[in-house]
Amino acid sequence: MIIERLQLTNYRNYESLNLEFSPQINVLIGENAQGKTNILESIYVLAMAKSHRTSNDKELIRWETDYGKIKGEIKNRYGKIPLELLVTKKGKKGKVNHIEQLKLSNYIGQINVVMFAPEDLNIVKGNPQVRRRFIDMEIGQISPVYLHELLNFQKLLKQRNQLLKNYQGKPKIDEVLFDIYTEQYIQSAVQIIRKRFEFVDLLQEWAEKIHSGISQGIEKLKIKYLTTKGIEKDWTANEMATYLAEKFTQVKEKEMERGLTLIGPHRDDLQFFVNDYDVQTYGSQGQQRTTALSLKLAEIELIKQETGEAPILLLDDVLSELDDFRQSHLLNTIQEEVQTFVTTTSVDGIHHETIQHAKLFHVKQGKVEI
Amino acid sequence: MYYPEPISKLIDSFMKLPGIGPKTAARLAFFVLTMKEDAVLSFAKALVDAKRDLTYCSVCGHITDVDPCQICTDQSRDVSTICVVQDPKDVIAMEKMKDYHGLYHVLHGAISPMDGVGPEDINVASLINRLKDERVKELILATNPTIEGEATAMYISRLVKPSGIRTTRIAHGLPVGGDLEYADEVTLSKALEGRREI
Repeated sequence: MIIERLQLTNYRNYESLNLEFSPQINVLIGENAQGKTNILESIYVLAMAKSHRTSNDKELIRWETDYGKIKGEIKNRYGKIPLELLVTKKGKKGKVNHIEQLKLSNYIGQINVVMFAPEDLNIVKGNPQVRRRFIDMEIGQISPVYLHELLNFQKLLKQRNQLLKNYQGKPKIDEVLFDIYTEQYIQSAVQIIRKRFEFVDLLQEWAEKIHSGISQGIEKLKIKYLTTKGIEKDWTANEMATYLAEKFTQVKEKEMERGLTLIGPHRDDLQFFVNDYDVQTYGSQGQQRTTALSLKLAEIELIKQETGEAPILLLDDVLSELDDFRQSHLLNTIQEEVQTFVTTTSVDGIHHETIQHAKLFHVKQGKVEI
Repeated sequence: MYYPEPISKLIDSFMKLPGIGPKTAARLAFFVLTMKEDAVLSFAKALVDAKRDLTYCSVCGHITDVDPCQICTDQSRDVSTICVVQDPKDVIAMEKMKDYHGLYHVLHGAISPMDGVGPEDINVASLINRLKDERVKELILATNPTIEGEATAMYISRLVKPSGIRTTRIAHGLPVGGDLEYADEVTLSKALEGRREI
């Protein structure tokens, strides 16, 4: 799917903007703080009805105006859909095909976008929490049941932790109640762990291919899912549950002492290896960036498989940080199928071949020239 | 907006009810002013009586004006089954069905450590007492299909196990007469899990 036309009214620093895009690569060039990312963001907002940068919608409205509007013309395999999102200080309204949608949830999902911004490097460099969030969001996209199970799990974890806190330092506890919560917790944890194993396999398959493409076959990316020690991927749910139950009896005393659940998917992590070296510890900046990029691009494949259509790719400030080879291979892998938006401060950092195929937009102080 | 004190008091009182905001409360209050005095008095009496005359049944915990309640004392009911629910409203829902002829037991809540509700805070002890009656053959656990309801059901089934009484849990799945396409993903997956041979 592609976005053919974008119209911004009172959005961030744009009073009025009208753009027509290439179905392939679009490059937004400009100095810092000119409004490149704002354009990228507006496409993201048009798709998701929320920003990736802020949770405060008022920031999206131009200074001293009352509303902001994003209009877009989307083309997918079935035809064209005009989309419109109005952001006011009171809330948001979405129109699909000029028809106002009563629920925003009916509006969202008309376009799929994948955004890669500098902070996504944290998937590789950051703490495990970032990586767990990444897996959960990715699996959530393909499996709504997983999201429900995850909510369930988080609630059970909270309940069990509270129970442990209540029992902390008490000589007598309600063993029956504690066993029930442990059992329920294990049931839920096993579901999560199995889904994550399954997903990491898929992710590995796609990300490895993409990474190898970007690095010209020199680098081999491997993703390892780290969950409770001892659990094997090919175990059945029952085997995992029995194993976890055994583990929990071992740590029971320690848990009572600390008042915390010590085992489970809330402590999972992902580890990335390039040519068998741990990227987080030993990888260069470039390798870390490529790894993060490969993971995000794998999301494109994921969405393609789900919806039968390629999403729109938004690359915020990433091209210039990849070398020429990586750049051209990245763009080759996506060129024909995925409409891509790239921001950069200058064309110097970008491979000339890329520039030749792309449509360029010069962004300066809230004005855009072709 | 300035209201004379009696009416602002009335508005405040209406706002204490669930689902009533300031506008509805004002509308109701002004309506009360147009009502005949008799009607207002009987309305006020109904409110007070509901609170004063209703108690919880000492056997099952359902709301009642006579203790034990009408369901517990009804000779035609099947005393061999007890259906355990969380709330008096659940009893009313079950009774609407007119297909269940056993007795009830109302827990008044579900176990939730997060909310500070333990087994001792809900009506479990009296349930265990009731099970000493040898006529009881089956316990139906009809707590809500939430984490708390599930935990409560499991907890009770664990306590009852030694007595050998048959314990069952109500099924969850698709609503009858509904369209499959409108069911949410989670309900569908639960319904699939609980499929049976025909």
